[in-house]
Amino acid sequence: MKNHSDDHAEKAHETHIVSYKDHFSTLAALLLLTVLTVSISVFGANLRTLTVATAMLIATVKVIVVAYYFMHLKFDKKIYTWLVLIVVVLFASFLILTSIEYLNR
Amino acid sequence: MTATTELNFFQAKKGLFSWIFSVDHKRIGLLYLYSILAFFLVGVSLGVLMRLELLNPGKDIMEAKMYNQVFTMHGVIMIFLFIIPSIPAVFGNFFLPIMLGTDDVAFPKLNLLSWWIYVVGALMVLSTLLFGDGPADTGWTFYAPYSVRTGTNVTMSVLAAFVLGFANILTGLNFIVTIHRLRTPGMTFFKMPLFAWALYATSWIQLLATPIIGITLLMIVAERVLGVGLFDPSIGGDPILYQHLFWIYSHPAVYIMALPAFGIISELIPTFTHRTIFGYKAIAFSSLAIAFVGYFVWGHHMFTAGMSGAARIVFSVMTFLVAIPTAIKVFNWVASLYKGSIDVQPPLLYALGFIFQFMVGGLSGLVLGALATDIHLHDTYFVVGHFHYVMFGGTGFAFFGALHYWYPKIWGRMYNKAVANVAFVILFIGFNLLYFPMLISGLMGMPRRYYDYLPEFHLPNMISTYGSWVLVTGLLLMIGNLIAGFYTSKEKIGRNPWGGITLEWQTLSPPPVQNFDKMPELPKGGPYDFENNF
Amino acid sequence: MKHHSGLVLPNSGHNRDAEASKLGMWLFLFTEFLLFGGLFIVYMVYRMLNPEAFLAASFQLNVTMGSINTIVLLISSMTIAMSITAIQLGNSKKSIQLLMITVAASLVFMVIKYFEWSAKIHHGLFPGMAVFNQLPKGESLFFYLYFFMTGLHALHILIGATFIGVVIHRTKSGRLNAGNYSLTENAGLYWHLVDIIWIYLFPLFYLIH
Repeated sequence: MKNHSDDHAEKAHETHIVSYKDHFSTLAALLLLTVLTVSISVFGANLRTLTVATAMLIATVKVIVVAYYFMHLKFDKKIYTWLVLIVVVLFASFLILTSIEYLNR
Repeated sequence: MTATTELNFFQAKKGLFSWIFSVDHKRIGLLYLYSILAFFLVGVSLGVLMRLELLNPGKDIMEAKMYNQVFTMHGVIMIFLFIIPSIPAVFGNFFLPIMLGTDDVAFPKLNLLSWWIYVVGALMVLSTLLFGDGPADTGWTFYAPYSVRTGTNVTMSVLAAFVLGFANILTGLNFIVTIHRLRTPGMTFFKMPLFAWALYATSWIQLLATPIIGITLLMIVAERVLGVGLFDPSIGGDPILYQHLFWIYSHPAVYIMALPAFGIISELIPTFTHRTIFGYKAIAFSSLAIAFVGYFVWGHHMFTAGMSGAARIVFSVMTFLVAIPTAIKVFNWVASLYKGSIDVQPPLLYALGFIFQFMVGGLSGLVLGALATDIHLHDTYFVVGHFHYVMFGGTGFAFFGALHYWYPKIWGRMYNKAVANVAFVILFIGFNLLYFPMLISGLMGMPRRYYDYLPEFHLPNMISTYGSWVLVTGLLLMIGNLIAGFYTSKEKIGRNPWGGITLEWQTLSPPPVQNFDKMPELPKGGPYDFENNF
Repeated sequence: MKHHSGLVLPNSGHNRDAEASKLGMWLFLFTEFLLFGGLFIVYMVYRMLNPEAFLAASFQLNVTMGSINTIVLLISSMTIAMSITAIQLGNSKKSIQLLMITVAASLVFMVIKYFEWSAKIHHGLFPGMAVFNQLPKGESLFFYLYFFMTGLHALHILIGATFIGVVIHRTKSGRLNAGNYSLTENAGLYWHLVDIIWIYLFPLFYLIH
């Protein structure tokens, strides 16, 4: 009966309710990052290829924040985080393998 | 209330609507079985027509363009309507919940929706016959730029493949959640039957590869509709990119076709040797390993397409890596036969036929995965032979084996075993007569996808065509025997005709609506521990 | 379920299982992510093949409008996350209000998108139009991808808004409440995914100067 009793235990203390205030702080962080990435691009420094890298880096940080707080990954069972990571690794490998091909043309 | 217990899932409700709108996973499995077998027979007929055309050099029964349309239709039907859904949608649907000791999949309504989507997709495929310039003539791969320029009904075929992808995704999603959430108490991941493991790995591929082909096919549609080439080199595009995207899905897709078959073999062998399977964990993990590594080898379909040298080497090396988990499985199956008390029944014959033919297919695959030899063999009949050995000789035979294995459980009756054995032998001979000569004509350099060939390839082609007639005889005998068994069988089949110990053998044949009439009990000591359970 | 022996299996597929529907939703999100993933691969490759053209073409997009849309979507992501908090606390009314704000934000997003697109189409930059066909090599690919990807994204916005509409309806009728809010959570997850896709689309098209 392991599974079953686990489920009940889960339910009892798993429902983590995120406060309104915390959600607002998350939004504030995201808006800050948006301002940052836009200003780098608009006023920005001519970083050449680094512009794209910086923009992608900031976007990724934003996505992690959204997934971790808004999408509750922080409070859910760890398996969700693992699954997300596997999918991201998989997609990253598609990008890497494709780049190997096109960078060596 | 107890008096109604004996009603099985066939008797519980009557009428057409009780089937086509049923959310019972067993009925949906059978809906899939009937529709899939119907399309399989259509695909077989198209294949026989192609062989007939190739009986002699020159034109026999059809012109080049029609031949192109026939082989495209054969490919589309066999791939998208038969082999991709085959084992998961039929036997996965029917038996996964029973083997896990639950009463349905996690999302029964989505399951029904998936069958309906399949039907819509199938009708879309058939509709290409009826209007315009006829069905696509591009091959089932729909390579750009030809697929963008041809006047045949590529748009509709491509949309059909897109729609059919949804059906696959829903089945895969359903199975993953079912396996995570609905295993009976006490059944940990490592006490699951290996068929469930195989379906688990398959479902992940269905889920994570199918969207890529979906979007790629939409790009083809967009090109055809807007008249602007996304893969057009004159505006900076690259037609080879289409091939990349196509094979990012379609290579993992061959594991959607093969992994469930591995799962079937892993069930058949312990039951008919009455001994525990050798290397349970190795087989379970090798399914996941194949699923994972299978994502990174797509480039080996494109060695001659104009890829960069570095990429070709990487893809060739990765391809060899996939052979490792596959070989682990085969060695484990063969090791399981050793010192077992082998009970030669029709399902076991199919399993043995699978192992032999899959080996031929797998080893010829290594020849194609090696960069140097592939340059010589690319787009020859060697590829056609290899592919049919793996898919038909492998998955097709596993499908038939599963059909013979679970037949008594599904319908509560038994077919004539002697006839089934004869049908297997004819099928086996016909299959090898049909496809082995292709490996040879391929080595001789006969290119594929032409309705005509040079006179020097006449002999192997003649043998192939004769073989196709033997194969069809065997198929008809097998199917006829199964149908006859349903109407003439007098034998009363109990719960467990083969002496298997996975959970489906603990319930009635056919199972009741809620799958079990008493609480299923986990076999002591693991899913295949025959010593402790008999 | 009439013909029943009375046997009830402990893990029935017909039980309500919040964890199962959440897992199912995540798996569905993976397929959505990879659907766009295919397009991101195309974008990457064509950018590698035509770096100068992509740079030149990106200057034609309106950064202000893109930025406003980013902010709108981020705010809507917060409001839908808050609506889950509200329903968990048993405050259905507040949950509905927050969901309404989310839908309103999606409409603002679509209106701005409409202005952006019509400006481009006005200049003849839609695939198949005269100016588009005259574009230098590579730039037309940029616009092709721009319309394809933002168009597909806009379609997802509409689907998401409809989804949220259903959630509002069911919350009003009381079917969703503090004891059963799986659907609200799933709508939230879907909406965040749409947001995540935009978080990548925005810099890739507007900010790569």
